[in-house]
Amino acid sequence: MALFITTLKHCGLYAGFELRRLWLTRRGLMTLAATAVLWFFLLRYAIAPASDLIGSEGFQQMFRDAFGAFGLSQLFAWPAPELAIYWILSLMLLPLLCLFFTANQLCSDLERGTLRLLALRSSRLSIVLGRFSGQMLVQSCLILLSLVATLSLAAWREGGLSLAMLNAAAVIAVNLLLVLLPFTALMSCFSAMVRSSRLAVSLAIVSLGLVFVLLSSFVFYFPDFLFLLGYMPGTQVMQLLPMQGWQTLQYALLPLLQTLVLLSSATFLLTRKAL
Amino acid sequence: MNAIIQCQQLAKRFGSKTVLQQLSFELHQGDVAALIGPNGAGKTTLFSILCGYLPPDSGSARIFGHKAGSSALFGKVAALPQDAQFDPAFSIGEQLDFYGRLQGLSSKAAREESKRVLALVELTEQLQHKAGALSHGMRKRAAIAQAFIGTPQLVLLDEPTAGLDPVNALHIRQLISRLSGEVSFMISSHNIFELEQLCNKVLYLENGQLKQHSSSDNAAQLQYLTLHLEQDNNDAISAALRQLPGLIDLHSAQRRELVLSYNPQHNADFDLAVLQCLAANGWRYRNLTKGQTLEQKLFNPA
Repeated sequence: MALFITTLKHCGLYAGFELRRLWLTRRGLMTLAATAVLWFFLLRYAIAPASDLIGSEGFQQMFRDAFGAFGLSQLFAWPAPELAIYWILSLMLLPLLCLFFTANQLCSDLERGTLRLLALRSSRLSIVLGRFSGQMLVQSCLILLSLVATLSLAAWREGGLSLAMLNAAAVIAVNLLLVLLPFTALMSCFSAMVRSSRLAVSLAIVSLGLVFVLLSSFVFYFPDFLFLLGYMPGTQVMQLLPMQGWQTLQYALLPLLQTLVLLSSATFLLTRKAL
Repeated sequence: MNAIIQCQQLAKRFGSKTVLQQLSFELHQGDVAALIGPNGAGKTTLFSILCGYLPPDSGSARIFGHKAGSSALFGKVAALPQDAQFDPAFSIGEQLDFYGRLQGLSSKAAREESKRVLALVELTEQLQHKAGALSHGMRKRAAIAQAFIGTPQLVLLDEPTAGLDPVNALHIRQLISRLSGEVSFMISSHNIFELEQLCNKVLYLENGQLKQHSSSDNAAQLQYLTLHLEQDNNDAISAALRQLPGLIDLHSAQRRELVLSYNPQHNADFDLAVLQCLAANGWRYRNLTKGQTLEQKLFNPA
């Protein structure tokens, strides 16, 4: 029990330290600036014009005719078109960005030997979970900031904020974090394996691609195993796209289980690793 | 006596290279042990196993009765690992605070502790500076400071004074010497002079094997005097000293250095006799030391 409490306490300390890294260090502020610039361009040149387009009746009719069968016409049911575009863009973009943002959970510390100083004071499980929690907190901050910007844009166009908008924003935030959980845990694994964040990103992209190709080939010859493709990280994204509201949480179990497996693997890898 | 480190048949290989072979030794409370050996002898590997950074292939390493690296040792065992660096994004103070918090200190206590340990290595003014802004020697001292956070009972120091200027190396030696009563140390170094001053036990590693495992022992039948002359040693000096009662052997370790072994039971005032002999012949000496130097014991045994 005491060990469990210590692990939790250490996780909290590591997570807090990662938040300080975001808000109080030059590198963290650069990350914030890069996110702000990215979302400025997305809001200015994608979300704002697309919202006007989505709002027009003619476009909605054309879209229903073209994509109605895929359920994408549900996008018009969002309380603000800005949120619908944000939902699509972030579901498609954030998992990929997450691979880059969270690649350095352990690599630099392994390379510098800082992990040796940490391992004298906390278990490797605490280090993995703490860094993972820290990265999730950092991503929560970035998602919240971009959502606030999107809500502001919607409020400015609609002339005010509604409760439905705030509820939809909460749905988006929770779902995005659920989608990012397995990707962040995946980067925990790769950052525990190699001493360079670039190498970790490359390995992650190559591994995901390779597993997808191998599984697809396998399924081609053994179609009964099609369900295996559904266990890849992020596969629920396509199912989430046409959905809205809290019913989206019906897809929460898979990413949670994936995260559990990947974090266990990361802990196993780091425990076996010579520091 | 309580063993704080117990290593039994410890072995480690990296690929086809055997780094440690069937290493067994014990260290006790209050020991200051020197770990000596040529490059590649396995010193850092042994340190890494003791710190829990590396698992041994076979054998066991137990510290305070717990497996090396066990969570029960957090805060009890501290170390200066070779080449471990601080995170360049944060100040030294912030990182020491964080280490203190991980060791269970409150925020305020951790800050006080950071100041205390930085004062130990005379780096108080660098509290707010990032590691990148410090010189190599300062970074090394800051790394030594982290090993003294809290109340460690065993401190493992891998090359603690390598890269330090003589004054700071002296400060670190004084610090270890001052704390050695309450804390046990294991120090790896190539500086024999330093180890001789600090350590009461020597582990000499060569090709992964423990070649010597000795403690200071002044009760031996055979004792040594090391004599540094102001002039080169010559046959006349050696001949005169050989006449002294109690002398067992005499050999010249260096041009102006003589090592005399004698039996104190035959001549309790042998050192006095040596000085009288030198004075009677007008030979001047620089110093006379009881015992052999560690260098002589390890590499040039009489």
